[in-house]
Amino acid sequence: MATVPTSSGDARAPWLTPTRRRTLWAYAFVSIPLIGMLIFFVGPILFSGWVSLHDWNMITPVNEMRWRGLDNYTHLLTVDEVFPKALMNTFIFAIGGVTANVVLGLGFALLLNQRIRFLTIWRVLYFLPVMTAPLALGVLFGFLFNRNYGLINNVLVSLGIQRQPFLASPDQAMMVLIFIAIYQYVGYYIVIYLAGLQGIPQDYYDAASVDGANRWQSFRFITFPLLRPVTLFVLVTNTIGALQVFDLVFATTGGGPANRTMTVVLYMYNTAFKFSRMGRASAMAFILFAIILVVTIVQLRLMRDRTAR
Amino acid sequence: MIAHGHSPLYYVGKLLTYALLAAGAFMMVLPFLWMVNASLMSAGEIQAQPPVWFPAEPRFSNYSRLLDVMPLPTLYGNSLFVTSATTAGVLLTSSLAGYAFAKYEFPGKSLLFMAILATMMVPAFVTLIPVFFVVRQFGWINTYQGLIVPGMISAYGIFLMRQFISTLPDELLDAARIDGASEPRIYVAIVLPLIAPALATLGTFTFIGSWNAFLWPLLIINDRALQTLPLGLNNLRTFAAEARNLDLLMAGTTLSVLPSLILFIFLQRYFIRGIALTGLKG
Repeated sequence: MATVPTSSGDARAPWLTPTRRRTLWAYAFVSIPLIGMLIFFVGPILFSGWVSLHDWNMITPVNEMRWRGLDNYTHLLTVDEVFPKALMNTFIFAIGGVTANVVLGLGFALLLNQRIRFLTIWRVLYFLPVMTAPLALGVLFGFLFNRNYGLINNVLVSLGIQRQPFLASPDQAMMVLIFIAIYQYVGYYIVIYLAGLQGIPQDYYDAASVDGANRWQSFRFITFPLLRPVTLFVLVTNTIGALQVFDLVFATTGGGPANRTMTVVLYMYNTAFKFSRMGRASAMAFILFAIILVVTIVQLRLMRDRTAR
Repeated sequence: MIAHGHSPLYYVGKLLTYALLAAGAFMMVLPFLWMVNASLMSAGEIQAQPPVWFPAEPRFSNYSRLLDVMPLPTLYGNSLFVTSATTAGVLLTSSLAGYAFAKYEFPGKSLLFMAILATMMVPAFVTLIPVFFVVRQFGWINTYQGLIVPGMISAYGIFLMRQFISTLPDELLDAARIDGASEPRIYVAIVLPLIAPALATLGTFTFIGSWNAFLWPLLIINDRALQTLPLGLNNLRTFAAEARNLDLLMAGTTLSVLPSLILFIFLQRYFIRGIALTGLKG
């Protein structure tokens, strides 16, 4: 860009050219977000990694933390009795909820994608639970599934079926939590799959039907492959989200009975803020983070391979 | 799709479709309907066996009694203030940074943008403990800024804004520059109005996320005067653990849930568009 002549007629170009001026403004625009990122993301992540190698109760000064090397990690993975359970529970919760919702979400999106009347209303109704605080749904379902006075048990008794312990049962509690998660998030999957379906040109189906394809074949060879990016997206984002579950468990079972619904983030919360073991809790965060990264990469790989085939 | 015909089979299919949709939607709405319904029952009716489906007479007194145990005006006020401030902050920082990344050239630009994308990969629980520590060092425990400031920057928001602002034509900005507009003025007068739909989408998501947030407020707030709605609901949950307070629990849950549901019904097209946008670009 040419330098704009200054009115003073100075032969030397001024330092603050319009280009430089724009660059400075750009830095000004990104400065606040970047400083915020440093203080509330980047710094904390590095600090947390450092803490995970120590014993620390957050009260002793930072420079007097006791160095423990990888002890926190080895303890969690080999000695700790709860952490492996919490990992397992978290995975069962995530896989159960996400798998069911991919099927249900796609199913209902297919139903909604056939020139249905009142599409907006259907979408709103299915989406309501997505908007609701997980804590509030936990409270509501905690009552509905209560073993003594919950509505569901009262209905079961009316139907001549025995009362079920549900959330109080080591065997049923996790299933109930997965059910609540399915209920809460199915609308999200429906909306996202519906958007994906609406993006597939009608021509493809017309061409297929000229070639004599039936409905199942159209679905199998057109719809499903073209929805792969959408499926990949919901799988990755929702698995990551589900692995972080906290509010719902906190409000319903508190991790019980017998740690059968203890999840990683809840265990981390207890370890850090009830027992003041910041190093141990930070190590948990990093182990789950590493697993999430691996899961994400595997999901991306799997989907890409299939797309290439 | 295949046959446009109106054979009997076609109508059976349609009927089946609507029946399935209605059954699903009924399942979705039933817990909410029951909750509102139960909030007008007596505690005895709520747990009656066999179940009572409607209150003998609606007991609106549940709500006035709720006010004695749940400081609703304070909770609503705090939630509204914290959520609005957080949302405004996210919109401002995201649009500023997104604008810079989309429309300016500066040394280190792509590196910084990559760094921001990388932080999107980091789940919130990884930074929970250290951010708590940072906020405590700042002396922000039991303060509004402790609730608001850490949530004011969103990597996802910056990314979304950059993608959206990239689609604006450069000529528009250059024309304004020729007319002598300063860079901040271009941002305020030209960029912001043009990205209003994207701001609405990001704003609604941020608002709901912040409104429903529980874990972070639980960590840093124990002063009753600063509690947000989810914290109030959590208190009510422990208070109403006994069956005889179920009527209050249902009334409190109803009042906690209602604002976000009403907001959603009015703003639903921004949500739907936002989800479609992120999902399909993803």
